Amino acid sequence: MAAVRVIFGVLLFVPHQIGALATNVVTALVQIWTNKIRAFLTVLGIIIAVTSIITVVSFVQGFGDYFTNFLRGLGTNLMVVYPEAVRGPRGEFLRPAEMTVDDIFAVDAKSDAIRRTSPVIFARCTVEYGRQQITGLNMRCASELFQPIRNFYVEEGQGRFFGAIDVENAAQVCVLGRDVLRQLECDESIVGDYIMVDSQRFKVLGLLETQGSFMGDNNDAIIVIPWTTGLKMYPNNRNYMAFYSEAMSEEQVDEAEAQIARTLRRRHGIRPGERNDFGVFKQDQILQQFNQVKMIATSVLGGIVGISLLVGGIGIMNVMLVSVTERTREIGLRKSVGARRRDILLQFLTEAVVLSTVGGLIGIGLGYAICGVASLHPKMVEVNVPIWSVALALGFSAGTGIFFGIVPAFKAAILHPIDALRHE
Amino acid sequence: MIADSPISKTTAPLIELADLHKVYRVGTELVHALRGVSLLIGENEYVAIMGPSGSGKSTMMNIIGCLDVPTEGRYLLRGQDVSRMSQSRLARVRGRQIGFVFQSFELLPRTSALKNVELPLTYSGVRHRRKRAIEALRRVSLLDRAHHHPNQLSGGQKQRVAIARALAQEPDIILADEPTGNLDSTTGNEIMAIFDSLHAEGQTIIVVTHEDHVARRCRRTIKLMDGQIVLDQMNEERERAKGISTAEGAAAAATGGSEGTAATGGSRPHGTEGVRPDGKRGAATGTVIEEGGPS
Repeated sequence: MAAVRVIFGVLLFVPHQIGALATNVVTALVQIWTNKIRAFLTVLGIIIAVTSIITVVSFVQGFGDYFTNFLRGLGTNLMVVYPEAVRGPRGEFLRPAEMTVDDIFAVDAKSDAIRRTSPVIFARCTVEYGRQQITGLNMRCASELFQPIRNFYVEEGQGRFFGAIDVENAAQVCVLGRDVLRQLECDESIVGDYIMVDSQRFKVLGLLETQGSFMGDNNDAIIVIPWTTGLKMYPNNRNYMAFYSEAMSEEQVDEAEAQIARTLRRRHGIRPGERNDFGVFKQDQILQQFNQVKMIATSVLGGIVGISLLVGGIGIMNVMLVSVTERTREIGLRKSVGARRRDILLQFLTEAVVLSTVGGLIGIGLGYAICGVASLHPKMVEVNVPIWSVALALGFSAGTGIFFGIVPAFKAAILHPIDALRHE
Repeated sequence: MIADSPISKTTAPLIELADLHKVYRVGTELVHALRGVSLLIGENEYVAIMGPSGSGKSTMMNIIGCLDVPTEGRYLLRGQDVSRMSQSRLARVRGRQIGFVFQSFELLPRTSALKNVELPLTYSGVRHRRKRAIEALRRVSLLDRAHHHPNQLSGGQKQRVAIARALAQEPDIILADEPTGNLDSTTGNEIMAIFDSLHAEGQTIIVVTHEDHVARRCRRTIKLMDGQIVLDQMNEERERAKGISTAEGAAAAATGGSEGTAATGGSRPHGTEGVRPDGKRGAATGTVIEEGGPS
């Protein structure tokens, strides 16, 4: 029986509270509408804060998605190992960079966590075809395993990749990225034809599939030749080779790295405690770098948001204090017709929160607009506003309203009804 | 005082003030606004509280209206001691049992008459607010202005909205503080006519005023001076004055500035002068009190 009464009481009570709240919100909106310009100037800080939240979060998110997708396409098991000179604390050379083909083969032979390895030389070359010429074209000199390691294949029906025999013979053959064709102003008929690479004649065996650009780096402007051919062209690289390694699985990347280090340290005679004379570039390093960028962006965002919210909040506090003073008589009247302190407190708090939330909504609208406009740019990654950032922004703006609205609301609530009614 | 209070024997005490004291601290000085006020007011009484500036009538009104609590003494409103209540409970009492009418109306701007009337009901959380507000507006014959905003209403209409707001809660007492103070005499009389008819319907009404013609329409007059009641009498003449055009009398009094000059200086017709039994006024206490400004 008592339970029924309690439930009944709550059912009666809740609509009243909601009704009172709704009335407060309407009152607040009327107040804002009456003082449009004042309200707008007040919430400018909130607008800026929320716009920054939405925009920066969306951009970071957009680039992050793009990054992750790209890395996944690259193959998450990929490592690049490169020679690196060891320098002392004062920058003096302790040990020159050194990596030979024998080192690479030794690594490949001794590491069971590594599936495939291919030597690689990174170079830039000049390509001529007909009357067209490209200078500074990215060149990779690798083995026939380049395709599976880099997850970067010759397009179906557009020729073939070079094989083990081509590598063995240091044949003057190459495969081209799609963008090279565009730059050479020719079509697929180039397959089987000859081009000049650094003034040497190379046969085009195939065309790589389109991979897209990444952080301004066009992956399709590339030429791949056998590494043996590369060594013939750039013999200086003989002692400064790098290599690609593909771990057995994503989980074994760390193990593979350890095996590489063990082999290379032994072969280079590095004693325990001495630094490696090579570097290992892993996918998660790219991710780490990106996370660093993300963190910087987030801290910048945090700064902007914090300052804007502070400014906005102080603005709200100020305008609410003015409002309380302006409406002292109204407060007196409300008290004389039965408003308790908490009713007045709630009314002015609601007003502050509605004010800041309106600012938040404007900011969200602006944020969406900025992301929309940015997405129109052809080189821009796709930017989507994540729903949680909207919730976060709204939460922040409402929280600011509560935090900075409490003092004016409290001031209104504790007014003595008689003094309030006498206020001129 | 209570002993000779001319309270009607048929009415139960609605308000009981027992030896009220109110002391304010103004700077370092203590101001005794009320010095031992005792008073009984019954159901369906129609009381005027008069007194000059600083006589303590505002303080008394504030205490009766539960806007303030006495420093000493007891105030029973319908038997409940409100003199020691918390702020929150006082607010509740104000909301449910007392209807205020102010000199300057105190309507919420940019809010329709109907919403203004609904305001006390939202705080007490009663249901059928709209219906009750409409009913209250009907009682002051202002239903056709329900959706007008205060800036579209005349002074008299605003005060009628304020009365409707006071009525909406069906309060025990309507407490009017100089309700005609901001109105011209004709409109003021219209407002007093509304109070008259509400009283006839059984409403208890207390009017704080410094205008004689307003006080005269009430059944009982209480005069305060230096924080004490100096006069408390029934206005017997009111019965006889009923047939006379009070509006004209009031107009005369207002334009004339005082009772004495009204008869000769008034440009309008006047008729109530002769009916006023001046001799009776001072009878209860034998004190003659000069009129004061609004306090």
